[in-house]
Amino acid sequence: MVPVNKALRTLGVIAIGSLVVSLCAILAIGVSKPPSILKAIQNGKAQTTEGLLPAAHMEISIWPDSMRGMHGAHGGAHPGFVSYGPTSHFQVPAHSVVTITFKQYDSGEKISNPYFAKVHGTVDGSMTLDGKKVSGIDPNAVGHTFTVHGMNTGQPDMFLSIPLPPTDEDAEPEPNGYAKPHIITATFITGAAGHYIWNCEYPCGDGSYAKFGNAMSTGGYMSGIFDVVDANA
Amino acid sequence: MLSETSEDTTKQSRNRVGSFLSRRDVQQAIRAWVFWAVTLGGLGYLLIPHLMTDSASKTMDIVKSTFMAFYYTSVPVAAVVLGIATQTVLHNRHAGTVPPPDDNPAIETNQMANIVWVVISSALCVFLLVWGLVVENVVAEPSRAANATVVNVTGQQWIWTFNYPAARKDTNELYLPVDQPVIFKVQSKDVTHAFWIVQMGIKINANRGEITETAVTPNKIGVFDVRCAELCGLLHAHMQTRVHVVSKADYEKWLANQGSVEQWPAS
Repeated sequence: MVPVNKALRTLGVIAIGSLVVSLCAILAIGVSKPPSILKAIQNGKAQTTEGLLPAAHMEISIWPDSMRGMHGAHGGAHPGFVSYGPTSHFQVPAHSVVTITFKQYDSGEKISNPYFAKVHGTVDGSMTLDGKKVSGIDPNAVGHTFTVHGMNTGQPDMFLSIPLPPTDEDAEPEPNGYAKPHIITATFITGAAGHYIWNCEYPCGDGSYAKFGNAMSTGGYMSGIFDVVDANA
Repeated sequence: MLSETSEDTTKQSRNRVGSFLSRRDVQQAIRAWVFWAVTLGGLGYLLIPHLMTDSASKTMDIVKSTFMAFYYTSVPVAAVVLGIATQTVLHNRHAGTVPPPDDNPAIETNQMANIVWVVISSALCVFLLVWGLVVENVVAEPSRAANATVVNVTGQQWIWTFNYPAARKDTNELYLPVDQPVIFKVQSKDVTHAFWIVQMGIKINANRGEITETAVTPNKIGVFDVRCAELCGLLHAHMQTRVHVVSKADYEKWLANQGSVEQWPAS
């Protein structure tokens, strides 16, 4: 028979251990605040090859640091990391024609995989670059890419990849202090609702892993969530 | 005189084995061994085929049959361990602060027991070795095919891309002709990934700075899964894409329709 004192001690240790683990979990949840969601603005309907579909648009910027977006004016934990903004969690409506306008403020170089210098997944495989229609950019001069994809399981297939050229570093800076941005628009048609991720495929992370480290492998900078949701959601 | 001594030794060994097997605790362990062997074997027979994915290549068929063969080979060995553990837990429990009595003498000097143990262990190892060599040769057949299609595979955080050098074509999803051997030349742009076509039973590391090769002959038309099987960072779980296995006519049509569109620069 187990002595009562020993049993009580055992229960006490289990209770204290559970309490410590619970506090750690609560603290971790409190610290890791999820990014806000940027929802595409719905604006009427547009004629497409798939018929008349609801239209929506959103604007995304890419900065050479983290001072302008979700990480706050001081850039948060890594002010020097390149970042997408205003957040890293985007939401667009299902069964709609969606246009994203990118303002690209960052520099760039040769991309390691030229596949991502081409436009993939948009209407007619093109995008506009500073008002001009193109199907890709020079793989020797890429700033970033906005590449959306997801798991195979239980959701429609989705693949979208938009190459974003680098800014001209010698150009006169904008009032916000950054180089004049390239304006890129990409239009694509969404299918049924699904949960996807996006990330940059230009190695812009400085550091280890062939520049795929740092901002490239830390959530909320060069990667995030891309949700396709039902119109009523 | 020598012959008599040898016979005596054998007789003594047999007596010791007989005496050993007639022990109550040994008989209990044998019954537990039978229980576990039947239970594990039955569970494997009933459950494992449902837990393994569908097959889309001969390689996957071999992977599945190899898994089952190795499973059934290991069942009797695992049952010995579980049988002894079960007998110990059920019949040799000891409570209190006084040390338990010593066990019976070990059987390490029992020649017959040692022979049986070594022969059975060696036979199992040889069986596994021969099986492995035979199936390895069969699995390697697609890589020796003269008419194999070559596909360059690139893994990078957290996406796969594929290049068909003969057709000058790049894609983010695989398209393969059915019953046609395919050789994959795999590399990584950053960290180590692993190229895994789940239903075809092939998996190989994608390393930065070097090319690894694997090959398969898909034998079923359908859509199957490509995944990364090496934990590669933040969004590793999303490093998936599809492989479309189509008829040869559809494959040729697919190549012809989009062959040069994906190339940069478009010339």
